[in-house]
This record gives sequence, structure tokens and C-alpha cells, in this order.
Amino acid sequence: MTAPTSVSFSAPQTACAESAASTAPLLSCRGLSKRFGGSSSTEGSVLASDNIDLDIHAGSIQALLGENGAGKSTLMSMLSGWLMPDSGAMYLHGTPLALGSPALAMRAGIGMVHQRFSLVEALTGAENLALADGGSVSVRRAEALAAQWGLVLDARRRVAEMSMGERQRLEILKLLSRDARILILDEPTSVLAPAEIAGLCETLRRLADQGRAIVLITHKLAEIADSADEVSVLRRGRMIARNIPRDPQLSTGWDMAELSRLMVGRDLSQTAPPPRQTGGEPVLSVRGLTGQGEPPAFSAANFDVARGEIFAIVGVAGNGQEDLAAVLGGVVSPAQGEITILGGRPDRAGFRSLVAYVPEDRHGTATVAELSLAENMLLSTTGSRGAIFSRGAGKRAAKAAIEALNVAATGPQTKARELSGGNLQKFILARELSKAAPLFVVEQPTQGLDVFAVSEVHAAIREAADTAAVVLVTGDPAEALALAGRVAVLYRGRVIGVVQADAPEAFERIGRLMAGLDGAGTTNLGHPKNGQPQLGQSESSTMGELK
Amino acid sequence: MMGLRFVLRPRHTSAPVRAAVSLFFALALAGLLGSLVFALAGASPAAAWRAMAEGALGSGYSLGEVLLKTAPLTLTGLAVALCCRLNLWNVGAEGQFVCGALAACFVGLFVSPGLPPFWGLPAALIAGAVGGAAWAFLPGLLKARLGVSEILTTLLLNYVAALFMEHLYYGPWRDPEGMGFPGTVELPQNVWLPMLFPADWGTRAHWGLPLALLLAVGLWLLLERTRWGFRARVLGQSPKAAAYAGFRAARITITALCLSGALAGLAGAGELLGVQHRIQDGLASGFGFAGIIVAFLARLNLLAVPFAAWFLGAILVGADQLQTDLRLPGAVVLALEAALLFGALLGEFLAANRVQIIGRTTKRFEQRHESCDENSGEDNHVA
Amino acid sequence: MLLSPGMENLALLAQIAVKSSTAVLLAAYGEIITERSGVLNLGLEGMLLIGALAGFATGAATGDAATALGAAALAGAAAAFIHAFFAVSLGADQVLSGLSLSLLGAGLTGVLGRDLLGAPGLVLGAVPVPVLAHIPVLGQAVFTQPVLTYLALLLAPLLWWVLAHTRTGLLVRACGENASAAYATGVPIGLVRYACTCFGGALAGLGGAFLSLSYTPGWREGMSAGQGWIAIAMVLFATWRPLRALLGGLLFGALTAAQFSFQTESAQWLPVWVLRAAPYLLTIAVLVLVQSNARLRRYSGPPANLGRFFRRES
Repeated sequence: MTAPTSVSFSAPQTACAESAASTAPLLSCRGLSKRFGGSSSTEGSVLASDNIDLDIHAGSIQALLGENGAGKSTLMSMLSGWLMPDSGAMYLHGTPLALGSPALAMRAGIGMVHQRFSLVEALTGAENLALADGGSVSVRRAEALAAQWGLVLDARRRVAEMSMGERQRLEILKLLSRDARILILDEPTSVLAPAEIAGLCETLRRLADQGRAIVLITHKLAEIADSADEVSVLRRGRMIARNIPRDPQLSTGWDMAELSRLMVGRDLSQTAPPPRQTGGEPVLSVRGLTGQGEPPAFSAANFDVARGEIFAIVGVAGNGQEDLAAVLGGVVSPAQGEITILGGRPDRAGFRSLVAYVPEDRHGTATVAELSLAENMLLSTTGSRGAIFSRGAGKRAAKAAIEALNVAATGPQTKARELSGGNLQKFILARELSKAAPLFVVEQPTQGLDVFAVSEVHAAIREAADTAAVVLVTGDPAEALALAGRVAVLYRGRVIGVVQADAPEAFERIGRLMAGLDGAGTTNLGHPKNGQPQLGQSESSTMGELK
Repeated sequence: MMGLRFVLRPRHTSAPVRAAVSLFFALALAGLLGSLVFALAGASPAAAWRAMAEGALGSGYSLGEVLLKTAPLTLTGLAVALCCRLNLWNVGAEGQFVCGALAACFVGLFVSPGLPPFWGLPAALIAGAVGGAAWAFLPGLLKARLGVSEILTTLLLNYVAALFMEHLYYGPWRDPEGMGFPGTVELPQNVWLPMLFPADWGTRAHWGLPLALLLAVGLWLLLERTRWGFRARVLGQSPKAAAYAGFRAARITITALCLSGALAGLAGAGELLGVQHRIQDGLASGFGFAGIIVAFLARLNLLAVPFAAWFLGAILVGADQLQTDLRLPGAVVLALEAALLFGALLGEFLAANRVQIIGRTTKRFEQRHESCDENSGEDNHVA
Repeated sequence: MLLSPGMENLALLAQIAVKSSTAVLLAAYGEIITERSGVLNLGLEGMLLIGALAGFATGAATGDAATALGAAALAGAAAAFIHAFFAVSLGADQVLSGLSLSLLGAGLTGVLGRDLLGAPGLVLGAVPVPVLAHIPVLGQAVFTQPVLTYLALLLAPLLWWVLAHTRTGLLVRACGENASAAYATGVPIGLVRYACTCFGGALAGLGGAFLSLSYTPGWREGMSAGQGWIAIAMVLFATWRPLRALLGGLLFGALTAAQFSFQTESAQWLPVWVLRAAPYLLTIAVLVLVQSNARLRRYSGPPANLGRFFRRES
């Protein structure tokens, strides 16, 4: 892991923030740490928060930036009582603070709005409010409260019928009705349409001006640029830059390019040059692909992938790549658009033989924990014909897979749950490789794996590219660049840019695109342009129509 | 107790350990509660348990009676266990049992006279299976297509079946020479399930038992060695993996429920053709619900079902003895069944969780466990 | 007041209809509250029996109606507590636990009630409401009923009001729909579920007491005769709403009365067994209807957290 870099900005700044509103922090933490998945540092446990210091000031809107796995939600969950820290201390107004539950945190004046709201859908807005603040159920009171804070919502409506924006306003109202002094919102803009973001920012500004402290957890730089007063950046569980104040001399307040670089980190030394497009036959062709859902998880995807090529699709979780991967893998059908593989449009059965799909969830989806490796082979390979399947064939295939990628398992009879993450992933890859399918779709392959396993998995993916077209879906731009020839970036369900791996500053460009900036690092809010990035171009600077 | 919190920490115990703990507690609680019930009923627990043991295992006849009960309990136990392996609840074994008996009776009374004598019995048995499957088809369809809870539909249909059966043997199918006892005419002898042992051995055990055991093995083979069984097991353990593999959940669900119904229906046919030989009051007598207990005691292991069925059969036969010897009401066996189930649930819980009482200082109540903790909790998606 | 034979007959049938729905209604109301809080309790049959025996035994011993009813409610609540322990605290499978409770109730009452078979006991007969009981037809049907029947009629609007308009009802509904969201706002999930389950047990106990004290006075083994299962069907039929349960209860009661009528008259345009099976078939029809319509499924479907164990995160 890289050490935190020193930040160079055009304006002088100190490590501790000096915001205009106050100097002493309202809520702060020192040395906060949290580890998941076991008390030892064996493989598999994740240090989600590593010795974090942070100050939250009254009257200020702070943006907490970071990519996948940075630990933003973990940190804020600890500060709002949803999780217990393993070590470290928290201070409210300077006095030590111990939070046992979200309810206790609420009493201390700290409230959090999660990405997936904590609302009872079958109840009305007024009822959810009454639940939160302990009062009686009264529509009039709810409406008065909403009017007082300038939030538009219909308290009589059931939450199930409310739009996402309305639900968010209800969540904020719940916090305000308990007189929350510190409001934390986790990825608030991801559920909103771009047009609604301004409304949210206005509300937050008003609240901050009253002396409350607001923290926005986000990876979308572009959207918070106008509203935030200070910025902190987390990467891989560490606080990289803390409480950076807005620079009055910059129109965007901060050097966006610099911030996105902090978020994704320095480009790690590449282990091997990525393979070039060999110009082989086109295997996969995607036109106008749109996913299910209202609004669709992803829309209007167009790209081609040739045999021998590794094509990466990068994006922060929640921008549509899980759904896109599932459609490419043949598990879910698209709402619109076409997928052409080797010139034909396969049906469901065809997908299984033409596509080798390694999904993100290796324990729950790609394998069945309680079954043996021999039986897990049969999840995507045919094993043998007929109603009675030959256990011998399954065993042989499993053995071959185990040997092919050096999986540390005692034999084909081992249950899937006995394998470590890295070995299970290798097994799954070997299984899919043995299909010798023309299209290989692999999703988040190295999540949670140690360095050694990562390199083995990468080697397997490169091997796959010898004979197939490979689509790599990942949240890690470094991984994408290490493997792929071209990298497409998904943002809000759209491919907003395709970067050549060997282009100059490819890493930085990808980082900026992932944060919703364009390739050059400027924000393009409010300039909807049609058009899609064309294949083969080194970058695109349109954001498309964000709906 | 203020300031004390109970925290449950799940732990990984291997299957045999869980089975042993669960069984131990089932027996322990049954023993405890059973003794209490005996005492409340005014009998000495020691005498009662002795009477039960004698009643179940004391003579050749009683051993045969236990075998007699083992057959239908095995079949209904298999029916419930099969569905539970797919995360489906078949609470309707009782109704499917009845429908199987009705179908077999229909064939026995009205169809078999037109068939060559040898074919009467096989036809009746097949009809029994079909009848049970048909009764389970609707719940399966509603669950697969509309997501209607199969617990509720199978449960409700039990009563419809029972009412229909009553209607038949009180009405259209009533034996006019029944001498006041409502019931059908006795089935012709060629449709009877033959006895297992010579008549002078004094036992009524019939060929339904080997059939049931065969089906247990057959079902095990189906689930463990065939393609369909593989799909069913995957669906039961991980619907997401089944979707990934392209298995059609709806079809598998319906087939499983129909298969389950067929097994329960066979149990009913067997009871009719092997023991009662006519449809009358008391045909069903709780075999369907008892199947749930059998399945749970066997921990859904199909090959263990016959053993669990035998065990429950022994309890049921032993309880009959309690009625004659100590004049305890027949309902006492229901209390024993309840105790077994509660005990098994308790054992299940203890085997799967470590209970920590978090006081101000230390933890108490820690139990040892074999864990596979190193391989759990990986790949945590940290936002 | 002199009525034509037809009207007298109708009044009698209506009276039977209302009366015969009492036990089922009381048990169903209790189960509605239990399930709205997220707990599935299939042990109604057992709780009815336990309440019946407790009420009857206490009534025979003390001769006092209030004590008898109190004992029945208490006994029912105690039985439900067992299920609540397994379901809410241990996280055991709620179907199994509920079925066990039914078995336990049948077994315990069969054993303990042996000596009371055929014994005389307290009888709570019809208590006519002054003035209102003289209304033609309706007076006999609705206002000349035992005390518990009046309770069954009054509980529907009362429970509806409590669920929809009080904070207690709000807590119950929140626990059943989204326990983790409720927990986040400080609702004590375990306490609410225990309370609702025991309340359901108490009502079922009262329903059982009705059977042994008013409907068919006396104690007989297994005297609930499946009404516990009809009550469960009623909960589904009523899509978990007390007022609809009242309607459903009266409908099912009318079917029971029709059975009487059919058995006395020779004309039968519908086999009796179909009438007796009608409650179950109608309930299945309602289940299918609710699931097949998206809007209905959302608003008339089961509580989202029904049967699910709530485990607090550490």
C-alpha cells in the first residue's frame, strides 16, 4: 500500500481544517480502526478502517471521498453507532463518546442516512416519522415539520409509493425531527436524478448555515463540487487527506484532477504489459444494450470485443456494472438491445455454451458451499449426457481443474466452503476455462484476495485471452490497466469514456471518469450531450444524457 | 440483569456433531417432559417408560406392529424431507395421504374387478401415488408461478381432503351392510398388500415396508446421483447459483412437490391396502404430521428417515401400551411428539450458536466448538 | 314478537352463524396481531384446547366467570410464550415450533383433562342486551349472545383502531414489516414480538374458553375440532386485517349455519362437505388473488418480515 501522499494545492493548507464556521470540531475521531472477518490477520480478514483521524465541523458540509473498499461507509457507520470500532476514540464537543447503537447515536445528535434507506415501506411517511421521533402519528405535524425545513414530501403517502428523492427527504426529516446536529449521508446522489441533486444541495446548505455539520460520503466528485466546504479522502481504509478546505481561487473549489488521483492512488508498477489487440475476429458485439429496472441499471451500451483481446469495464459499485456483467454472462436478459456472439444471437442455452461467466459472488452464486468440487463443476459444464450423471466424469473434470490452476484442495471431494477465497476463485476460473468458450466474462475476480492469489488469477485471465475474447468487469482501475487493452468506464449506467491502456496518463484519466469528471478533469454538469464514445478513440469527454 | 446482553455468535459445526447434539436434546427433553406428563396423569414415570418399552419391543407381535408403523412413517417422512431439501415445506402430507388412499380405494373397488387379478394391486398402488401427486400439484403450481406460500396451501388442502373422504365413506361409497359403522366395503383380497411373514408368526407387517425402504434408497439415488436431483439440491441450497446455472426453478419446484405428494399418497395406499382394507374413520390418524417429525429427527437425511420412522413408530406403539396398561389417554403420545420436536429445535440451536452473556466484564457460557473459522468471513465487500 | 316461521328460522340461523364464529374469530384476531408483528404461530389449535380446559376447570372449581376467563387467557398466553421463546429468542423454525405447540396442547389437555370428561361445569349462556335484543331478527342474531361473542364482535373495530391509529399499533406493524429499520429507531423488537405472541395466545385461550363454557359446554378431548386451523385460514382470508376477519368470520359462520340448515332439510343443492370445505377453498382463492395482482400483493400481502428471525448485529 502506498503511504499517504502530501498534497500540493495552489493555496496553502494545513493538515487540520480551518473552516469559516468554527475551529473546534463538533465530532471527531482519533485512531479509529475496524477489522472484519475474524480476529486474526489471516487471509480473509479485511482491515476496513486503519487508524483514522477525522474532524467534523459545525456549519460545514464535508465530502468524504473514496473508491470501492476505501472504508467510507465503515467509518461513518462507526461514527453513527451502526458499528462498533475495534480501537480508537471518538469525541463529541471534545468529550469522549461511546455509541452502542444507532438509537444512542441519535440521542447524541448524530444521524446517518444509508444508501439503502432504513424505512418501513408499508407505512406512510408520517408513520415512519412518528416511529423515529417517538411522537404520535400525525400527518399535520409531519407536514409542518417538512415545511419548517423546506422539504417537499407527502406525509400521507406510503413509502413504497414515494420516489427515491422523496424517501431521502423523509430520511433527512427523521433526523431533523430528533434535532440531529450531525447528519451523515451515504452516497446521497446515487439514488437521485441529476436534476434533483441541486435541490438536495440547497437543503443541505440551509442546514449547514444553521450550524449543523453535514458529511457526504461519495465517489462522485463532479456532483459535490459546488456544495462542499471541505473534503477528506480515504483510500484502502486509510485517511489520505484530511479536511481540505475549499480554495476560493478555483472555480471548482479544488483541483479535481488532483483529488481523483488521491482517490485512486498512484499507478502501481505494472507486472506485465497488457496484451495488444491482435485484431482477431470479433467475438462479442453489443448494441444499444439496456438493462432491466426503472430507471435501467445501465443503458445504451455499445462495444465490440475481439478474440485475443481483454476489454475492461470499470466503475464504482452501483453504477451498473453488476447488472451489465449479469446480462453479458447470460443470467439475466436485457430490456433492450442486442448481444451478438460469433455472429449469432444466442438463446439461453446458447449462452451457456458460448459464454464462460465468472460472477462476483464466488461463494453464493458461482459455487454452492455445501457441494463438493466435483459437483460444483456441473454448475456450468455439462459433465456428461443423460439423466444419471457420471460422478467419475465430474471427479475427473474437477481434478483437471484443480491441477490446471494449482488449486490448494485435497481433492475433488472437498466441499467448496473449505476452500479459501483465492483457491475457490482459481477453481472457478479453471472450471470456466475448461469450457473453452469463445467469450469469457469475469467480474471482480480479485476481490479480497492476497497478492499472490491475485497474480495467479491475472495469469489465468491472460491465458484465457489466448483463445477467447475476455470482458473484465472490475472496480479497480489498476487491475484493468494491468490486464486490458482498452478500458471503458461506467458512470451512472452509461459508458462515458473508453481509454486505451497505453495512452499517456491512462490511469489518471480513468480515475477522473470514474468520479464523473470528464477525461480532462473538468466537471460537465448540466451539459447533456448525446452521443457515445466511439471505439478506438482514446477518450471521450461527453457525459451523455444522465437520466 | 440490567446491563446483560445475550449475543448469539454463529459457529460452524460439522453435520454429525449437529445431528448428535440435536438428537441428544430431543431425547432429553422428551424424557423430561414425558416424565412430567406421566406424573401429571397420575402414573409413575418409571412404570410408564417401562410399559412403553415393553409395548414397543417386548414381543414379536409388538415388534411387528412397530414395523407396521414404520412403512407409512418412512414414506411421509421422505415426502417432507424431500421438500425441505428444496426449502419447501410440505405440511400437506396428511391430505396427500388421504388422496392416495382414496385413489387406491377407487381402483380397488371399481377398476380392479375388470383387470386380471395380478394387476389389481400394482394398479392400486400406482393410483395411490398418482392421487397423492395430484393433490400436491396445485400447491406446487401456485408456489412456482405466483409465489403463494406452499405452507398455507398444503395445510388448507389437508382439511379439504379429509372432508371429501368423510363424504365418500359416509355417502356414495358407504357399505350398506356396515352395521352402523360408516366405511366402505372391504377391498377384494387380490388388492391387499401381502403379509411379510407367515400368518402364524402373529404379525401384520406387510410388503409395504420393503417397498418403503426401497423407495428411501431410490429417492436417495434420485437426489444424489441424477441430474434432476443435482438441480434440486442446488436450488435448495442456493437459488442464486441455480439461476446462474440456468436451472428452471419453477419446474423443479412443481416436480418436487408432486413427487412428495406421490410418496405420501403411497403411504396412504399402503395403509389402506395393507392394514385397514377399507376406508373408514381413523384412516389418516396423523401420519402426515408425524412425517414432519420423522423428517426433522432424521435431519433431512433420506437414508436416516427409515430409522427415524422406526423410532417414532416404536414410540407410537409403546404409547398404545400405555393406554392399555396404565390407562393413560392416547393423547399422551402427542405430548411426547411435541417434546421430541421442541427438544430437537433446542438442540439445533445450541449446536449452531455460541451463546455469550456479555456482562460488564467477562463472558460466560462459552462452549467449545469445531470451527472452520479460517475459511469464513472472507471477501467482505467494504463500502 | 310473532314472526313468520321463515323469519324465525332465519333469525335462528343468523344466531347460529354469529355464535359459531366466535371461537374462530377470537383466535384469528390474536393470530393477526401475532403475525403483524412478524411471528408465525401455527399452534392455535393447541392454544384453543389449553384455553378450553383451563377455562372449564377453573369455572368448575370456582364457579366464577371472570376467574375462569382470566385463567383461560393466562393459560393461552403461557402456551404462546413457549412458541415465542423458540421463535423470537432462539430463531428456530417457526413452522415447526408452532406445529409442536399444537401437538403439545392436544397432548397436555388430553392427559390433564381426563378426569373432567363429562363433568358438569360453569355454563356461560346468552346474555341478551336490554332493548336491543327485541329487534326482529337482528335482536336474536346479534344481541342475544354469550359475553365472549360480544367481545368477538367488538374486538374487530377496536383492534383495527389500535393497529392503525395508536403508537402501539405502529410499533407492531413496524416490527412485522421491517424489523431492522424499526430497531434502528429504537423499537425493542423482541419485546414487541413476545407481547404480541402472548396476546395472541391469550385471545386464543379465550376462544377455547368459549367452546367449553358457552358453545358446547363441557370438556371433550380435542373439542376444538380443527377450528384453530380455520382461524389460520381466516387470517389469510382477511389479509391480516381485523375488520375483514370479522366479515370472514361471519361468512364462515354463515356456512356453518347453512350446514345445519342443510342437514335438517332434505333438499341439498350442494353437498354438505363442500360447504364445510368452503372456508378452506375460499381462503386459497383469496391467497391466489392477492399474489396474482401486484397492487394487492403490495398492500394485502403478508407482513414483509413474517416468520423471519431478527438477529441483532454485534
